[in-house]
Amino acid sequence: MSKLNENDLYGTNFSIESMKVIAEGIGIGNLVDDAAKELAEDVSFRLKHIIQDAAKFMNHAKRIKLLSSDVDCALKAKNIEPQYGFQSAEPLPFRFASGGGRELHFIEEKEVDINDLLQNLNPKAPLDCTLRSHWLFIDGVQPTIPENPPPVAKNVQKLESVDPINKKPAKETSGKPSTGKQKLRNVETVQIKQLATHELSVEQQLYYKEITEACVGSDEARRAEALQSLSSDPGLHEMLPRMCTFIIEGVRVNVVQNNLALLIYLMRMVKALLDNQSLYLEKYLHELIPSVTTCIVSKQLCMRPDVDNHWALRDFASRLMSQICKNFNTSTNNIQTRVTRMFTNALHQGEKVPLSSLYGALQGLSELGTEVVRIFVLPKIRNIGARIETHLEGSLMSNNVDKIASGHIKQLLVKVLAPILKSIRNMPDNIDEYKQDYGYLGVALYNAVIKARTQPNLVTTTVSSNMANSPITCSSTITRTATTPSGIIQQNTNAGRTIVMNPSPRIPTQQGNQKFVFVTQRPQTPVGTSHPSQTNASVTGQNTVVKFVSNTNQASQKMTTQQKLVVVSSQMGQSTFSAQNSGMVSPGNQPAATLISKSSFTIQQQQQQGQPSVDDLSHLA
Amino acid sequence: MDRSQISAVLQVLKKYNLKGTEDLLRKEANLADNEETLQQESDVSSVLTGYKSDGDPETYEASYTELKNFVESSLDIYKHELGTILYPVLVHMYLELVYNGHTEKAISLMKQFGPEQDPYYRDDLKKLAMVTKRDQMKGNELSDTFKSNQFIIRMSRDTLSLLKRHLNDKKASVLLNIIQEHLYFDMYEGVARNKGQIAATSGAVGGEAKRQDNKAKVYYGIPKVPDIQSLAAPVEDEEEGVDQDNPDKPKKKKAKKDPLFSKKTKSDPNAPPTDRIPVPDLKDNDKLEKVKALREASKRVTLGPDSLPSCCCYTLLNANYSVCCVEITEDSSMLAVGFNDSVVKVWTLIPQKLKTMKSAEQLEEVNVESEDVLVRMMDERSGETSRTLCGHGGAVYSVSFSPDRTLLLSCSEDTTIRLWSLQIWTCLVVYKGHMFPVWDVKFSPLGYYFASASYDRTARLWATDHYQPLRLFAGHFSDVDCIQFHPNSNYVATGSSDRRVCLWDCTTGNYVRLMTGHKSPIHALAFSICGRFLASAGTDGMILIWDLSHGHLVAELTGHEKTVHCLAFSRCGNVLVSGGLDCSLKIWDFTKLTEDMSSEEVNVSHNPDVKTGDNYLLRSFATKSSPFDKFTLH
Repeated sequence: MSKLNENDLYGTNFSIESMKVIAEGIGIGNLVDDAAKELAEDVSFRLKHIIQDAAKFMNHAKRIKLLSSDVDCALKAKNIEPQYGFQSAEPLPFRFASGGGRELHFIEEKEVDINDLLQNLNPKAPLDCTLRSHWLFIDGVQPTIPENPPPVAKNVQKLESVDPINKKPAKETSGKPSTGKQKLRNVETVQIKQLATHELSVEQQLYYKEITEACVGSDEARRAEALQSLSSDPGLHEMLPRMCTFIIEGVRVNVVQNNLALLIYLMRMVKALLDNQSLYLEKYLHELIPSVTTCIVSKQLCMRPDVDNHWALRDFASRLMSQICKNFNTSTNNIQTRVTRMFTNALHQGEKVPLSSLYGALQGLSELGTEVVRIFVLPKIRNIGARIETHLEGSLMSNNVDKIASGHIKQLLVKVLAPILKSIRNMPDNIDEYKQDYGYLGVALYNAVIKARTQPNLVTTTVSSNMANSPITCSSTITRTATTPSGIIQQNTNAGRTIVMNPSPRIPTQQGNQKFVFVTQRPQTPVGTSHPSQTNASVTGQNTVVKFVSNTNQASQKMTTQQKLVVVSSQMGQSTFSAQNSGMVSPGNQPAATLISKSSFTIQQQQQQGQPSVDDLSHLA
Repeated sequence: MDRSQISAVLQVLKKYNLKGTEDLLRKEANLADNEETLQQESDVSSVLTGYKSDGDPETYEASYTELKNFVESSLDIYKHELGTILYPVLVHMYLELVYNGHTEKAISLMKQFGPEQDPYYRDDLKKLAMVTKRDQMKGNELSDTFKSNQFIIRMSRDTLSLLKRHLNDKKASVLLNIIQEHLYFDMYEGVARNKGQIAATSGAVGGEAKRQDNKAKVYYGIPKVPDIQSLAAPVEDEEEGVDQDNPDKPKKKKAKKDPLFSKKTKSDPNAPPTDRIPVPDLKDNDKLEKVKALREASKRVTLGPDSLPSCCCYTLLNANYSVCCVEITEDSSMLAVGFNDSVVKVWTLIPQKLKTMKSAEQLEEVNVESEDVLVRMMDERSGETSRTLCGHGGAVYSVSFSPDRTLLLSCSEDTTIRLWSLQIWTCLVVYKGHMFPVWDVKFSPLGYYFASASYDRTARLWATDHYQPLRLFAGHFSDVDCIQFHPNSNYVATGSSDRRVCLWDCTTGNYVRLMTGHKSPIHALAFSICGRFLASAGTDGMILIWDLSHGHLVAELTGHEKTVHCLAFSRCGNVLVSGGLDCSLKIWDFTKLTEDMSSEEVNVSHNPDVKTGDNYLLRSFATKSSPFDKFTLH
């Protein structure tokens, strides 16, 4: 307990001025100073008394907030008429304002539109009190279920990631009291950073297997359950590195194979992890952001760009990116700035950027807010307009894919820019001015702005409703494509196909037909990926066996007889990749084809590599 | 009451022209009319005021400083004990100054010396500091308490003589007056206590408990179940009846006999006689339940550090500050919740629904002789998972189930206690007696009796079939916040905002234990299963364990950060669980505590060293943000 200081004893009293103000309020013009002083003292005394009594009622209602009803009860107990009509929804209805050296507390009275009141005849009834039960602990062990607090709190996770040396020596004692003796002993020993062993229990391994299988499997109901678990379970932090690795590896491979369905599933996993309140994701952002970016701006995300709806994936991933920026942007990591710069660079590259990537970049920017769009997109609009015009209007020279992409870009730009233009341009809209300022898109923008001006709120609402609905819509479309029996579309996507990431070699990497197994040992090392898969993908349709190769450089000697695709990330930070059947064997010691540098989210393309990289970010870098 | 007080009362009666009462009192007190003199006139004011003083206001500060210097300069062994008089002296000096109109002097005295007092007096000093005028003193709870009660200080003979010598030397009239009028020294032989010992028992509003207060014998033991023999007979009869019908099952009887009766043969020497308080005879149904409970008890797992309990947590959703209290039945079948908006809601926690009794006409059709008459009289179609009981006119602050789970008590801010039937789901009785909000109500473990605690500083003992209280336990200086029956139903413990825990005898209505040592209002009480210990906890999150045999504080368990609202012992008595507003639940090893205690020798007059802490904490569990209200352990 802190020491009592003398001002605490007497607290505050009403000032003579406030007495005079109140007196004026009730029509007494000039209150004598002496009377005001006497009144102030008396009123202060009585108020303190009442508040003291009200606190009793608060304590007995087992609250730590004093409500106006407590004051009423205290008045009632003193045989004073309670103050009727002072019910307030909040414990403290006062707002604070200061300015010009004066401080003021006031009650905020919101203006209520009488029309609103009339239209909502039945206000929403408050929910009834309901009972819910869960196990707080079983035989002294607290289960990690959503109802219980996470075993390792978020701030502890943060501390661990920032300062691993300070990690508490024994995590499992978190329920037990720590004795003073242990601490004393620790003082003298030199603190050596322990080699982190992230061992998972058998249950956790099973859970991991189940969840990852469900997330990328074909059963939509199971997937929903798995995603629900990912977004709400409090005890996931130990598995987080594995989950992240699973996602990034999955994205890396499936981008190459243009497997749209799986990419969407993986992005939904990212969303679920982002939604989980108990996880401290910041440690893994450097891995997740490139993956998400890939799904936004990659040149090709699906087998048939003219038919498949890869736009939905780009939209969804863009929203994820904006969520990441919103949640994790700090002055030290500057995520928002860096992401914005990355997307903007794509706009500056002109003709080199494929149209689909351009769409992704634009979508990514538009999700970051109107201000970003106004500054970075608006000046570029003439160039972009000119570019899509060639595809949309000059139908002879452009192919169908580009035409669709251009259409999407146009749609997007009109949708995003119309509300902005509406606010920054003055009222008399002139179609010629629009044409002059915005080139090809001028006409469409003009129409949209005119429309927006006539229907004030429509544009924003459609945008928001789009945002809310699209995860559902895109997933449904995706499931359909994934289950299409036609073997031409996606040879690899059959119903039985699963991706399994084994956290440790203990689990045998058995697979039936057409299974891919991706094994990683060191999730934290930057990992190269297999890129020459475009050739592969066409071949591996029949029978794919993947074998685990433990961090050796002699992968080429361990090949099996069948066609196979081995994706291994080894400790050395090199990828040993081999694809035997087509005679296209990469040397075992080939350095990582694509490196993702951790600090910046750019991708440096190795020069010796002729093919386009996994990640189309290289175009943007 | 001494003679002067009686004459003061007479004076008052005369003033209000209450002739009859005056005559009666005069007669009873054997006071003759002629004794009444003018001199008594002044006595009246002196009794009523108690603070009339002609002392020079300038001398107060000086004499307090002098006293402080004396305390500080005295020998170390006496220093701490002498230090205990500083706080009451300061309070009374302040009140005297205020009473005589020297407000500025009083405030400056308080400002100068108030912050030096022990931190646990801080709240009281704040409350006292509110009083700055003579007319504010009247009706102020704290100043009234100080005025009309002597502050009790325990002191060794040596320390007291030292103090007296000092007072005689200095002839400081102000100080001498206060010490004579308002302080009571409870002297004991032996060595003066050290700082820790004093701190352990100080903190209550009226000072420490006198040794005399805790002298009476307390039958804290649990009597052996009185009806066990009589119980055995009908049960066996019944069995035999069954056996005659079903001669295939002769073994059952034997198996039942041994666990039931072998254990209970030894009688606890500290147990009260079984007929000490009258209890209505058990009904057949209750007896069956008892037997069942005993049999289940033998299957119970003993809890300890190695076998920790499990905890099922029931969370009330959408409660929105409206829940005041929660109670769970002994067999965890029902949960009752008292709400701020004056309703009581009962939920069932088992698949069995809450049924209501059939209507009178339908009941007539039920065969009374049948075995399952209790089942038959309930209406099968009326099952619901929760039921609402409406009737109170204010927030419901406590609810309590009767042991047979057919009745529910609730107490409310509207000053009433209501008895509800859980068979017809209506209110049966409204008990009016408390004049102020009732904070707590508890059924006795044997049923029939119940006790309530109120804002009006009293606790009352009631029986369900009397609409007026049977006993009125008065003596607390402030609200009685919580109440708990002793497992043998002969005693009631109360915890109060005056930071004292009291144990009252239900038969006499007197207090038999007065325990000081809490530094904050008390909000939770729990008796150990053996009946010897009492755990109490309050707003400062400290849990104190008292030994009822001598009224000593034996342990102080710290760990909670906010108010502890519930305490519970496991049925095996090995584990104490506490929970409160800091959203955490802590499990304490009570076996270890009692073992440590029994290994020490018991000193009757002194408080033993208080054990603290962390050693006994087994586990601590947190919830996300739900404060705990109530739990039972099984």
